[in-house]
Amino acid sequence: MKHCDDIREFLGAWLDGELDPSEAEAVRLHVADCPACAEERRQLEKLQVAMKSVFSTEGERIAFEPFWHGVRSRIERNRPWHAELIEWLRSALEAPRLVWAVPAMIVVLIVALSLNSIWPSLKWWGQRNNYVAVESIDAHGRNVALLREDDTKTTVIWLYQNPEGENDTSEEPAQSGPTF
Amino acid sequence: MTHRKNLLKAALLFNLLIFLAAAWIQAADKNSQPVHVTIGTILAGNQNDEFDARLKGMEKQLKVMKYRSYRWLKEESQDVAWGGNGVFEIPGGRSLSVAPQEIRNNRIALKVRLTEGQKPIIDTTVRIPNKGNFILGGPPHEGGALVLSISASAQ
Repeated sequence: MKHCDDIREFLGAWLDGELDPSEAEAVRLHVADCPACAEERRQLEKLQVAMKSVFSTEGERIAFEPFWHGVRSRIERNRPWHAELIEWLRSALEAPRLVWAVPAMIVVLIVALSLNSIWPSLKWWGQRNNYVAVESIDAHGRNVALLREDDTKTTVIWLYQNPEGENDTSEEPAQSGPTF
Repeated sequence: MTHRKNLLKAALLFNLLIFLAAAWIQAADKNSQPVHVTIGTILAGNQNDEFDARLKGMEKQLKVMKYRSYRWLKEESQDVAWGGNGVFEIPGGRSLSVAPQEIRNNRIALKVRLTEGQKPIIDTTVRIPNKGNFILGGPPHEGGALVLSISASAQ
């Protein structure tokens, strides 16, 4: 921004305080050393003062309310709800694809996790059979057998009598155990 | 550009809320409904060839055990809360305690404990299909053996 033409492009924004600090400082230093740009600045400031006085005196005479009413009515007439919806959808669909990939994955996960709740009888890959899964057995020293039968998909946990009758207070021994 | 960033944030926030709401509803629903636990008590023996007509529905399951006779003794049902404990009286001064732990992949995890008086006979943890059953048998009774059909059903 060393040329006067470049600086003058920024003078208006500088006077309005719209430049970032580094740009504003560059303009300020140049204007301090350049009589031509300093003159340009004075002209702009005069113009701003003149415009402010015109607006402040003449603006009060203008009836803005009917003007805004007309603008508002035109906006409402020309933009029905479905037009706004279509515009919103268009802007949404123009968003990056990732925006839709993430919610799509979440929806798929929710549906997959909820499938069994919605449709309990549904069999899927995670549920290959109807067998009971026995995670632990503690028969407290007794003999125990675990049987799984294919046809009826039955799981049987069978307790056997101790031959010596140890640790068993029952006075009614079974006639014989099952043969499975 | 700002519009797209805002849209991205709104979409992510919206989906996060949906996900949390769905997870909360599912968890609340699962935890609020008790488990319907049913214990069928059957006496299996070899004295005769009698097969109780009331056991017709589970004849194939019972025949797995190769006893000659099966007699229906009783059936008891209880609604047991998740993490709770249902206690069922079993003939011969025994009791059966059933505690539903959780449901996952439509399978109910049950902690089952059979006691005789104060003495534990068996402790087991099983995962049964929802509305399914398994059989716990063997304790001697009236010259035969008790067969317990343990089933559980969750909403």
